[in-house]
Amino acid sequence: MSTVATKLHWIARWRQRLWRIDAADRGPLVLRHRRIYILPTRRGLALIATLTIMLLTSMNYALSLGHALTFLVAGLVAAALLQTYRNLAGIAASPLAAGEAFVGGDVGFTLSLANAGAERRGIVVAGRFGPSLRIDLPAGASRPVQLSVAATRRGRVALGRVTVSTDFPLGLWRGWAYVHFPLTGVAYPAPEAPPPPLPQGLEGFDLRRSARAADTELAGLRDYHPGDALNRIAWKAVARGAGWYTKQFEGSGGGGALELRWAELPPSFDVEARLSRLCAWILVAERETRPFSLTLPGTELMSGSGAGQRRAALTALALFPRESTP
Amino acid sequence: MIFAPAPAAPLARSQLLWLAALVLFAQLPLWPHLPPWIAALGSGLVLARLLLPADRPLSTRLRRWFLPLLALAVGIGIRISFGYFLARDPCVAFLYTLVGIKFVETRSPRDGGLLACLALFVALTQFFYGQSIGAAVIALPMVFVFGGALAALREAPAPAASWRAPVVATARMLLQGVPLAALLFILFPRLAGPLWGAPADTGARSGLSDRMAPGTISELSLSDAVAFRVDFAGPPPPPARRYWRGPVLSRFDGFEWSALTRVREGRLAANRSRAIEYTVTMEPNNRQWLFALEHPTALPRPAIDDPTAAVGTSRTIALLTDDQQLLTNAPIMQAIRYTQRSAISDSFAATGESDVRENVQIPRGNPRTRAFATELRERSGSDRAFIAAVLDYFRTEPFVYTLAPPLLLGDGVDAFLFDTRRGFCEHYAGAFVLLLRAAGIPARVVTGYQGGEINPDGGYMIVRDSDAHAWAEALLDGVWQRLDPTAAVAPSRIERGLGGALPEGEPVPYLARLEETWLKALRLRWDSVNYQWQRGVVGFNLQRQRGVLRDLGLEGARPWHVVALAGGLIFLWGLAILIFAQARHARTDPAVALWSRLCRGLARAGLPRALSEGPLTYVGRAAERWPQSSAVLQRIGETYAALRYGPSDALRAELIAKLRANIAALPSAMRR
Repeated sequence: MSTVATKLHWIARWRQRLWRIDAADRGPLVLRHRRIYILPTRRGLALIATLTIMLLTSMNYALSLGHALTFLVAGLVAAALLQTYRNLAGIAASPLAAGEAFVGGDVGFTLSLANAGAERRGIVVAGRFGPSLRIDLPAGASRPVQLSVAATRRGRVALGRVTVSTDFPLGLWRGWAYVHFPLTGVAYPAPEAPPPPLPQGLEGFDLRRSARAADTELAGLRDYHPGDALNRIAWKAVARGAGWYTKQFEGSGGGGALELRWAELPPSFDVEARLSRLCAWILVAERETRPFSLTLPGTELMSGSGAGQRRAALTALALFPRESTP
Repeated sequence: MIFAPAPAAPLARSQLLWLAALVLFAQLPLWPHLPPWIAALGSGLVLARLLLPADRPLSTRLRRWFLPLLALAVGIGIRISFGYFLARDPCVAFLYTLVGIKFVETRSPRDGGLLACLALFVALTQFFYGQSIGAAVIALPMVFVFGGALAALREAPAPAASWRAPVVATARMLLQGVPLAALLFILFPRLAGPLWGAPADTGARSGLSDRMAPGTISELSLSDAVAFRVDFAGPPPPPARRYWRGPVLSRFDGFEWSALTRVREGRLAANRSRAIEYTVTMEPNNRQWLFALEHPTALPRPAIDDPTAAVGTSRTIALLTDDQQLLTNAPIMQAIRYTQRSAISDSFAATGESDVRENVQIPRGNPRTRAFATELRERSGSDRAFIAAVLDYFRTEPFVYTLAPPLLLGDGVDAFLFDTRRGFCEHYAGAFVLLLRAAGIPARVVTGYQGGEINPDGGYMIVRDSDAHAWAEALLDGVWQRLDPTAAVAPSRIERGLGGALPEGEPVPYLARLEETWLKALRLRWDSVNYQWQRGVVGFNLQRQRGVLRDLGLEGARPWHVVALAGGLIFLWGLAILIFAQARHARTDPAVALWSRLCRGLARAGLPRALSEGPLTYVGRAAERWPQSSAVLQRIGETYAALRYGPSDALRAELIAKLRANIAALPSAMRR
C-alpha cells in the first residue's frame, strides 16, 4: 500500500512540476531553466525538415559546400533557440491584484512582469481562457499585465495557470513557462433585471419621497471618484472646467437605511433568484447612496454604505453556499 | 505539441520585400546554369509579384487555375528543352521556377515560411554546378537574408522602426552559429559513396577525350583551365620528364585515333626503388582516367595528407590496364585527391598478349606515307635506325609547330607530311605512329599532359589543359618505348612548355606564356588560394575527416565518443553564448552596471535588494539602515530611477555621471 502511495505521490509531484496544476507559486517568481520549455514551432519543424533534406542531398552528391550551408543554417537555428530561451529566462512574474465581476462579465487579474536583464520582445501572456496579451519588456522595465477570466457562475474565480511564452527572435522556436499563482477573484451573482423595487426602509419611509427629500439638501462637493453615480456629478463644475466633483447631500445617504433580509424574500424563490434580487437591491441602494444592512442565513452585515459595504455585501452573496437552503 | 507561429495575418509589404530578396539571392547563382527562358521566367515572376498588393496578389480563380497550369506548362517546357525530366538538372530548373510561382501566391506569413524553406533548398542546388570560393561567397548574403526574412515573418517590422536592430540581431545570431557550423562540418560523418544512385546527367566533360583527330588537342591547348594540381613529396622531375600518361589510342580510321574498348589488367612497373611519390588533386572532368607520371609503380590511393599515415591501409581507387592507363570505375564527378608513385622512365616491359596485333593495323589511304615508310625502312638497317631516320626527317625538313595548322582534307597524313608541314602535337604523333606501323613496327598514340608549372606560392605544380599533349610509343624488343616527335620539331615545347615553343603571334593562352608579369603572379596566388580551398573545404571528405580526427588524437575513437565530445562542445557553446549575452547587457548599459554593483555592495554589507523592490524603495530602506549616508543614497535612487524610467535620453550622460559620482561618495564598505 505504502509503495503505491509513494508512487502516486511521485507521479503527482512530476505532474505538478511539468504542468503546474496546483496554484503553488508564490510571487515574485523568476523564470529559470527548470520552468522553461522550448519546442519548435510549425515553421521550425518545416525548416528542420528542409535542413534534413538538404543534408541528405549534400551527402549523396558529396557537396562539401552543401554541408557547410546546411550546418550554417543549423547554427542559426540553434542560436535562435538560445535567444528564445534568453528572451524568457530571468523574467520575474508577480501576482498584483484580482478583480471582481458579475456573472456574465469578466473577472480581471493583474500580474506584473519585471525584467532585470536586457530587452525582451514579443512576450505573450495568456491565461487558460480569455485573450492573450503580447508585450515588449525594455531593459530593466516592469509592466503590469491584465488578464481576464469569464465569470460563468458566482463564487470564487481562480486565475488558473498562466502561460508566459515567446517565439522571438525567428519564430522557429516557442519557449514557454507556466506560472500558477493562487490568485482568485470573485464573481457576484448577476443582478435581477430590471431591478425590483426596494423593500420598505427601516423607518417605513416612502422610497420616492425620501429620495426627493434627499436631493434637496446639498451639503457640499467632494472629489469625484470613479464609480460615483452620474446624477450626483457636479456637471456645472465640469462644464466650467473646474474639475470633477461629486455632490454630497445632507445625512448619511439619499434616504433611510435599508434592511435587506433573506428571510423576507418571497418563499417561492430559490437560492439563486434570492441572491439575484438581493444583488440588484444592493446596487440600487449603492446608487442612491442609502445605507443598508444585509442579513443572510449565517451572515449578518451591519448597516453601512460606500464601496466597502457594497463589496462586503456582494462578496457575501457570491460566497453564499450553493446547495443548502435554510 | 505544435504551435502555430503567428496569427494568420496578411503579409506586410516589408515582409514581402524580405522574401523577394531571399528568393532572388537563392535564384541568382543558378542563372548561368539554366536555359535562359527558365532563368528569366523564375526571377521575372518574383519581380512581377512585387507589383501586386502584398496581401491579396491574385483573385481566387487565378490562384486556383492559373498557377497550377503555369507550373504544368513549365514542366512540359523543361521536358522539351532538356529532352528528359527525371534527372538532376531538369529538376533544379523546375524547382527554380516553382519557387517563383510559390512567391506569386504567397499571401500570409505562413506561406512565407514555406517559401523561405523552398528558397533555401534552391540555394543549395547551385553547388551542383560548382563549389568555388565565389559560390560560397554568394551564398553568404542569402543565409543572412534568410535569417532576416524569418525575423520579419515572425513580426512585421513597424513602418517607423529602425531597420538596423533586426539586421544586427540576425548578423549576431549567424556569427554565434558559426562555431557550431564548423564543429558539425568537421565532425559530422561523411559518406564514402552516394546514398542512392544519382540519376545520370550527361554532364559536360572536359579535358582529354578517348579520341584524337587533328585539332582536338590544339583546341584544348587554348584553355587555361586547371586539369589537376600535384604536390610532390620530394623534388619534382625536370620538365622534359613530366609525361602525365592519359588515354592510349591504338585504333586509327584514317582520320581519327581512338582508344580500344576492351580493358585488361596490366602489371606495374618493376622499378620501385627509384619511385617518387606525389599527390594529385584532380578537377572533376566526368571521365574515368587518373593521370600519373610515366610509369606508375603503385596503384593510386585516396590521399591522406598526414605523412605519418600508414601507407596501404586504404583501398585503391583505380586499376591499371595493360597499356598502363589508370581507370576509375566511375566518372570523376567531384574533385578527387589521390596519392601516386611513379618511377620516371620512358619505357616499360610489354605484357599485353595482343599488343602486337592491336597496334599494327593501318587503314586504307595515305599511300605516299606508306610508300615513304617502306622505302625508308629498307634504307635503314634496323627498326631503331628507321626510327632515328624518321625523327631526323621531322627535325631537318621545314616542319612548323603551330596551334593554327591549315585544314587537312582527304589523306590527311599525306598532306601533312609532304605538303603543309604545319601541325600541332596530334599531327606529329599521329603521322609518326602511322609511319612506324607502315614499316611494320607496332606503335600507338599516347595522350596526356606534358609539363606543368610550379606555383611558387604554395610550392605545388599546376597542370593545365594548355599542357595537353600527344606522343607516341613503339614496341621494340618486348619493351614499349616512348618516342616524342614533337620534341624533334620543337624541343622547347618539352623543355619550356607551350609558351616557349610557339612562334610569336600564336594564340597562346595567357597563363601558358613565359613572361613574368604581376598579373600572372596574382593569378598564381589566386590559384594557390583556390587550391587550398579545394583541398580544405570542397575536398573535405571521409579521408580528410579521418585525418582531422587523427590530428585531434581521436583516431580509433568509438562513434559514441565522438558524439559525446560533440555534445559536450555544443553544450559549452550554448553556455558561452548565454554568458556572453549576459555580460554584454551589463556592459552596454552603464546605468545597469553601476546600479547592480551598488546592489551587490549593499547586499554584502547586509542589505540585499528584494526582487520586487524598485530603486526608490530599496534606497529608502538603505537610508534607514545607514542614516549617515541617507542623502547620498536618496540621490542615487532618484538618479537611477530617472535614468531607467525617465522619459528622455537627453540628459543620460549627465545622469550617469551623477550616479557614478554619488556611488563614489558612499563609504567604501557599502560599495565593495
